[in-house]
Amino acid sequence: MDSLISTFHIDWKLMVAQLINFAVVIIVLWIFALKPLKKLMDERGATIAGGLDNAKLQEELLAKQKEDYDAALAEARAKAAAMMKETKKEVETVRADLMQKAQADVTTAIESGKKQLESEKQKMVEEAKKEIVALVMSATEKVLGDVAVGKVDTKLVEESIKNI
Amino acid sequence: MNPIAPAQINHESTLYAEPVAYVHGFPITNALITSWVAVIVIIALSVGLRATMKKVPGKLQHLFEVILEGGLNLADQVTGSRKVTQKVFPIAISIFFFVLINNWLGILPFGAFGVLQPAAEGYNFIPFLRSGTADINSTLALAIVSVIGSNIFGVLVIGVWKTFNKYVNLKALAGIVKKVRKDPSVLLVAPVMFFVGVLELVGELAKVASLSFRLFGNVFAGEVLLASMTVLLAYGLPIPFLFLEIMVGLIQALIFSMLTLVYFTIASQDHDEHEEGSHGHAAVETHA
Repeated sequence: MDSLISTFHIDWKLMVAQLINFAVVIIVLWIFALKPLKKLMDERGATIAGGLDNAKLQEELLAKQKEDYDAALAEARAKAAAMMKETKKEVETVRADLMQKAQADVTTAIESGKKQLESEKQKMVEEAKKEIVALVMSATEKVLGDVAVGKVDTKLVEESIKNI
Repeated sequence: MNPIAPAQINHESTLYAEPVAYVHGFPITNALITSWVAVIVIIALSVGLRATMKKVPGKLQHLFEVILEGGLNLADQVTGSRKVTQKVFPIAISIFFFVLINNWLGILPFGAFGVLQPAAEGYNFIPFLRSGTADINSTLALAIVSVIGSNIFGVLVIGVWKTFNKYVNLKALAGIVKKVRKDPSVLLVAPVMFFVGVLELVGELAKVASLSFRLFGNVFAGEVLLASMTVLLAYGLPIPFLFLEIMVGLIQALIFSMLTLVYFTIASQDHDEHEEGSHGHAAVETHA
């Protein structure tokens, strides 16, 4: 043992000095540097894990919202289609009614026009007849001269015109 | 005053760290100086790390985070539990850095700086720097910390009585009285168990010797190797050996810290529970 100690110069004072060195290393390295670093890493890990959980939650929420949106969209589309169908039907009915009414109006207008035309025609014929009577009497008076003046029977001329 | 001729200067690699100076009889050896430099380097790194520590890491912080994360995962593989790792890791990582920086400081090319001390024949050249771990006093101190620390840890985890019985197996001797009627073979087994305990005690001393001499031997051999290569051909030849020594320094630091972890883990395990567990398991297998 003595030879071992003398060969390697084993000295308890140097060992104690090295122990102190090592103690300083533990205190400074672990307590001052690595322990806070580990805490920081753990905090960061927790933040990342929390973020990932949150992202997953958001993803699920988004998927659910998308599902709800799709369902609402489909429902709205179905409603819109039904409404369109209903509206088309109503429009068709209204159009048919309007067409019918328009046709009736047109028929009435034509009838009324025809009647008015007939009445106008009658009136014109009457006036033409009167004109002809006047014309015939005037012509006769001129042809017959003073002899016949005032003697031409208006009544006779009118009856003659009637028979035309 | 005559100048000293180069032929008068002895460059010897000694097995022990040489004193560069004495302060009140306390030898300031070159290995101790290197250890102080290592401590200063570690303090500087720690202060630098603490000062620049932030959530988004810089280069230094990133390097330490990689080491810390890797070290914790490696330690988990040894201890088998993060709970034990968290308790033992501060000692293991401190040993790792202390040994690593000491090893690497020893291979820095500052061997030309030193003092001349008169010897029987001429002068002995004593370099200022010698790897801290190339001195048995350093490695012995660390090995004692490792082995005594592991036993203290064992006492804290499994208790004084169980730790004591690992070395002085009174439980086995007491078992003779209890079990001799049921199982006479205990008369043979119990003394063997007691002797195994004594062997465990010797084993603890062997752990100190193996830890300290392994590290000392490797680092000192590396220094001698580098010195020899430099003497053979100073230019170029030592370069591959320098790389080798960088690797050796890293590996030895890793081995020392890993073995410390192993010793702490073994010390924190209850052998009785383990044995009972394995017996129970065997019984289950037999029934099956």
